Amino acid sequence: MSREITPPPAGYDAGREQMLDFKVDEQLLQVVETDAKNFILTTVDEMFNWARLSSIWPVTFGLACCAIEMMATSATRYDIDRFGAGAFRATPRQADLMIVSGTVTAKMATRLKLIYDQMPEPKWVIAMGSCAIGGGPYFKYGYHVVKGVDFIVPVDVYVPGCPPRPEVLLDGLMRLQDKIRGRKGRFIAPKWVTDYAKLIPYRK
Amino acid sequence: MEQNAIYELLAGALGDGALGFTENPLEPWAAVETAKVAEACRFLRDDPRLDFDQLMCLSGIDWDGFDEAGKGKSVSILGYSDDGQPEKSDRVATGDLGVAYHLYSHALRHKFTLRVRVTRESATVPTISGLWSTAAWHEREAWDLLGLKFAGHPDPRRMLMEEDWVGHPLRKDYVMPDLWNGVPLQGQPYCANPFPVESGGPDKPAGDKPAEG
Repeated sequence: MSREITPPPAGYDAGREQMLDFKVDEQLLQVVETDAKNFILTTVDEMFNWARLSSIWPVTFGLACCAIEMMATSATRYDIDRFGAGAFRATPRQADLMIVSGTVTAKMATRLKLIYDQMPEPKWVIAMGSCAIGGGPYFKYGYHVVKGVDFIVPVDVYVPGCPPRPEVLLDGLMRLQDKIRGRKGRFIAPKWVTDYAKLIPYRK
Repeated sequence: MEQNAIYELLAGALGDGALGFTENPLEPWAAVETAKVAEACRFLRDDPRLDFDQLMCLSGIDWDGFDEAGKGKSVSILGYSDDGQPEKSDRVATGDLGVAYHLYSHALRHKFTLRVRVTRESATVPTISGLWSTAAWHEREAWDLLGLKFAGHPDPRRMLMEEDWVGHPLRKDYVMPDLWNGVPLQGQPYCANPFPVESGGPDKPAGDKPAEG
């Protein structure tokens, strides 16, 4: 059985194909060339939102066992870097996102507040796991546990689970990206947030 | 060495400071007089027949609601009842406090448990941090969570809670504060059942008539 060899089309450049490592489709080339003469319409909001949601840098901040799942999410198997959120910054000044991964104790809450306030606007918070959402198993007798991190900082996305699996955290991240995508204008914190923030003192 | 033999040696050294030995299949323990606990520990550590070189654990105990033999019922004081209402009682705890010392000898491979009992008013125990340095942190923790004062402790600060925390949380009569330093500690009443019992439960929400026939 012999294989029929089709001759290369006119204008075929073997060197170019070798360089690109794929076969050049003449028709596709036509499309690309026509597209190059087109233009894109967008708004500044949409462009900025797209840029922000594509590079949400979280602050390196883990509190309890949820932090282990957060690390698993950032590791190779789940690879949070696919969503542009893999650059865990060592300083809150360069971060956009705080993943509150774990139990927020009263002692930690003041420090958490300090880290949140050091982050530049715009900033977002994911409450990860039952403890960060509402105290979790410490709700009834946890004399030292804040019953939900939304008592301390405004929360954008709640990710339930104890701890949540990495898939769920990734889903929460995508929901946050949806939220950023739909945002318009400059972010202004609600008045109750700023009023409430004044009640909590800084601790170092 | 058997535990009761250890106790006999201890009783011989302490005299009337040893208050008795309780046979218990899980954890036999000896009661000693509070003022003599440091002396007892020094004897247990230094005597070559005993040679307890490690303090495995030092536990603070609140015996409120329990009798001498450890029989009783713990009473919930803080938190929420099962229907989600804040639950605070003004009951004053009356039982004694105590400390348990769990000792182990690596060379001779035996262990021993000492217990002391103090009243809730004094709550003062002599420190043994000069004998085993690990006791210093354990005693700080017992002070932090149960309010046991250790006389002669070199560094009597709180271990876990913030320095300006009020009260000792593991006491049975501790009442959880609503607010600490601006940080709210009480949660909202939870489990507001969206399907109250009158409506017939989640399968039959209110307004839904059961199918006829």
